Amino acid sequence: MTPPLVEMKGMSVSFGGVHAVEDVTVDLFPGEIHALVGGNGAGKSTLIKTLSGAQRPDSGAIYIDGNPVHIDGPIDAKRFGVETIYQTLALADNIDAPGNVFLGRELTTRIGNLDDSAMEAATRKLMARLNPSFQNFKSPVASLSGGQRQSVAIARAVHFNARILIMDEPTAALGPAETEQVRRLIRQLKEEGLGILLISHDIHDVFDLADRISVMYQGRLVGTVQKDDVTLDQVLAMIILGKEPGEVTEAELEELHG
Amino acid sequence: MKRNRYLIALIAVLAMLIAACGGDGGGSDTTEGPDTTTASPDTTEGPTETTEDMTGTTAAGGGDITVGVSWNNFNEPRWANFDKPAIIEALDAAGAAYIETDAGSSAEQQLTDVENLISQGADVLIILAQDGTAILPAVQSALDQGIPVIAYDRLIENPETLYITFDNIGVGTLMAEVIYGLVPEGNYAIIKGNQADANADFLREGMEVVIGDAVTAGDITIVCEEYTDNWDGAIAQTTMEQCLTDNNDDIDAALVENDGMASGVVAALAGVGLDGQIPVSGQDGDTAALNRVALGTQTVSVWKDARLLGKAAGEAAVQLAQGAALGDVAGVIDFESPGGNTMTTILLDPTPITQDNLNLVLDAGWIDEATLCQNVESGSVEACP
Amino acid sequence: MSVTEETKADEARRTEGETEQAAGLLRGLWALIRRGVGSLELDTRLLGMIVGLLVIWVGFHFWSGGTFFTPRNLWNLTVQTSVVAIMATGMVLIIVSRNIDLSVGSMLGFIGMFMALLQAEWLPQWIGFDQWYTWIIVMAAGVVLGAILGFLQGAIIAYAAVPSFIVTLGGLLIWRGLAWVLASGRTIAPMDSTFQLLGGGARGSVGGTISWIIGIAACVGIVLLLVSRRRTRVRYEFRVRPMWADVALMVLGCAVVLGAVWFLNRYFMPEGLAMAYAEEHGLEWPEGGLEIPFGIANPVLIAIGTALVMTFIATRRRFGRYVFSIGGNPEAAALGGIKTKRTIVLTFMLMGILVAIASGVQIARLNSATSGLGTLQELYVIAAAVIGGTSLAGGIGTIFGAVLGALVMQSLQSGMVLVGIETALQDVVVGVVLILAVAVDVAYRRRQST
Repeated sequence: MTPPLVEMKGMSVSFGGVHAVEDVTVDLFPGEIHALVGGNGAGKSTLIKTLSGAQRPDSGAIYIDGNPVHIDGPIDAKRFGVETIYQTLALADNIDAPGNVFLGRELTTRIGNLDDSAMEAATRKLMARLNPSFQNFKSPVASLSGGQRQSVAIARAVHFNARILIMDEPTAALGPAETEQVRRLIRQLKEEGLGILLISHDIHDVFDLADRISVMYQGRLVGTVQKDDVTLDQVLAMIILGKEPGEVTEAELEELHG
Repeated sequence: MKRNRYLIALIAVLAMLIAACGGDGGGSDTTEGPDTTTASPDTTEGPTETTEDMTGTTAAGGGDITVGVSWNNFNEPRWANFDKPAIIEALDAAGAAYIETDAGSSAEQQLTDVENLISQGADVLIILAQDGTAILPAVQSALDQGIPVIAYDRLIENPETLYITFDNIGVGTLMAEVIYGLVPEGNYAIIKGNQADANADFLREGMEVVIGDAVTAGDITIVCEEYTDNWDGAIAQTTMEQCLTDNNDDIDAALVENDGMASGVVAALAGVGLDGQIPVSGQDGDTAALNRVALGTQTVSVWKDARLLGKAAGEAAVQLAQGAALGDVAGVIDFESPGGNTMTTILLDPTPITQDNLNLVLDAGWIDEATLCQNVESGSVEACP
Repeated sequence: MSVTEETKADEARRTEGETEQAAGLLRGLWALIRRGVGSLELDTRLLGMIVGLLVIWVGFHFWSGGTFFTPRNLWNLTVQTSVVAIMATGMVLIIVSRNIDLSVGSMLGFIGMFMALLQAEWLPQWIGFDQWYTWIIVMAAGVVLGAILGFLQGAIIAYAAVPSFIVTLGGLLIWRGLAWVLASGRTIAPMDSTFQLLGGGARGSVGGTISWIIGIAACVGIVLLLVSRRRTRVRYEFRVRPMWADVALMVLGCAVVLGAVWFLNRYFMPEGLAMAYAEEHGLEWPEGGLEIPFGIANPVLIAIGTALVMTFIATRRRFGRYVFSIGGNPEAAALGGIKTKRTIVLTFMLMGILVAIASGVQIARLNSATSGLGTLQELYVIAAAVIGGTSLAGGIGTIFGAVLGALVMQSLQSGMVLVGIETALQDVVVGVVLILAVAVDVAYRRRQST
């Protein structure tokens, strides 16, 4: 068996004595969507930030393709093929779509000038693949719709041959049509062989998209399950009670439904 | 990495501090002498120092007289370099002793300073007030003890003090007299100082005394008259440029209220090749302005010779110590103060410096010949051989 | 209904019809113009500002009885604007990155005083007065000092996270104080004779011929820029403007540049200067005198050059893109891997360098340095940037707009002196215009975004 694309072993992060993430281990395979779920403050975002380079872990190790790596900042993460789509999308609203796609990694001409045309051309090509209806390449992204902005953020992530894609609440701010469009996009990327770490509050999103589901509860990992092995209720129980399916008593389940 | 950032920030803060302190040090360097003679603010020890060459000179019957001088701030070089030696010289001549304190720009400190001077046995006080109102209690207490007080350069609103200063309204008159003497009729530009500064209007009043009639008679036309924010030379330059544009260069004289603005006016004139051809006034005796006077691009800089002020104060102090009443001191007149008091006052005339009397500033040591004569064609004026 | 009434009604109908027709025609024409201007793809905001500027000029022209819109006055105006314009180009980047620099006026005073002392008192001890290279040493030293001061402020802002408002407010006090300390309040003059040329005047201008050469070069530059831009877009198969629109832009650009050169070249030296010039250049002095144009003044060239370089940095270099992205969304910039702190420090260093250049121009123009040099300039510089469309919320602003903003303000000030408005009222007018300009800008943006 091929080694997992990413392995995060024993990750811990604490903020001033509060354990935001405590000894969490997860992995991700190519062409897999691995959903990370849990209530508010369960530590999902903090955990993925250690992979995207936005947060340094206190302890734990990250392996990519089986090799231990040290991720020091967003640039480092990108070098290992880890791209992140934040819930806020992290777009510079005053800059146009190509500028955002290449933010921090601008294409330049030989003498170091920005090559806006090359960036626009590349963005047009990307969008033709991701979202053919996208046509607004010259306006600041502030003037785009939520779905279009999401496309820009995704385009930025996939353009640089990302192998590991972290998506933090990708459909949170979208209408039904746009949500469907983004889901289609996520499946398309999975088909292309990317490994996707999906964080979502939307349990339907998760059941629709994910292959495996990891549940976090108060900074700890409750467990990782194959989507096909569990029911929605069981996952909900894990999220709310913080216990694996086998450990949950009938009474607790009753209470949950009551 | 994080620690690194703090380090950079820390270094930057330190560098700014050092820059600030270093600068300060540089500033006080120019005041050389005083630091040895300055009473440290919080001590009440004896007389700080008596001028050395004083000892033994007991001529002119001033033998037992001690004159106490309370300076407000020695960081401004003028007081130490010009006023203080002039006072000492005048006291020496009368055989009187000199003691001093420096309040370091603190009005509270100056109250203590005055008490110290009295307890050190001062027979007369010369006070350069940091704050003419705050000092009043100390002045009253001195007067109650029979110690006469001279208000030096800055008004103290107590009619029993003797006020010695330059005639500020006269400055405007003096500059106008020089310019009017050269240009009795024609177009005048008047560049005034900051609108919020009463001096700007005093100066303008003084000018009116000289040119008022000619303006009424139509001999003189005031084609531009503008205030200048902050007495800023750069703004004065723009004003003058616009004035020249508006009048198609047809301007015959410029009455400018100080030397800093005169530098802007002369630069504006130079822009159209009229520098040196149109009389320009100024005041302060700035070294740059005196150089322009020597070059001929500025006509006059009205100069207040600090030594005259010091001399007058020293002589008046001796007279008062010998028992003269305020009104008996030589050269006094009555002066209506802004506070409504009738002050006994010695008003000194400032000196208009033109090409003909540049030697005055040279002899006074106010400026050295190299600075005065920079770029001046040798022999073109008497002061630059 | 009487006959006369009928005819009247008829007439009314007819005229109504005619008016309607005329209105229809006008609407059609207007639509055509709008579409035409639309295909030029010009920034309508900037166009609005230019129209505003022209209104101010024409207004003052009539008010002043015909002295405003003259070569001489506009020539003066360009020189008077240059100092604020140079600094405003840097202030745009500072404000775009969500910071502010209140210290530029004081810094101008401090660096100006330093540069003045360097050439008038310190250097002459070693190399004597009026060496040909004095100005280079002085400018270089000033620029280094400016960069250091900018670095100090920027480092504290970026790394110690002290708000720029506070740091530069401190700077405002510190640099002003140090300017005083440097010279104990003296005025330092005169400046080095070569250095003075930076400030303009008859010698500090390039003359008629070189002005034309510069104008033509600029014209060629405009054409080349548009051609190369069009080529690139064609190569990438992007949509291009209609050919006529590109040609129209070239013609328009060249017309503006060459027209400006022609107009400014109509400002001739007054007789005295012209005579001196003729004598110096061995020209015969004819009966009617000589018409020798000043040509573009050096400070104006410096300001234009600065604006071009800054525009290049802001729009064509990574650094500029980073500054804008920080202003748009600092978090996104950081997550994009941009070294935001370093970028902020660099903007402040750049600002310091621009202040040094402006100091050089200012003291050269004034031919002296006074301790109050640059007082309140920070407000004019910030106002120029803001009038020019820089948003204090960050992320939005153009160099060209800021230069235009500086020109608007100086036009108001110079114009008001020309027509003899009281000083106190001048400040009132400038203040009102500042608020108005920003109000219009905000309203415009709001309309655009809906």
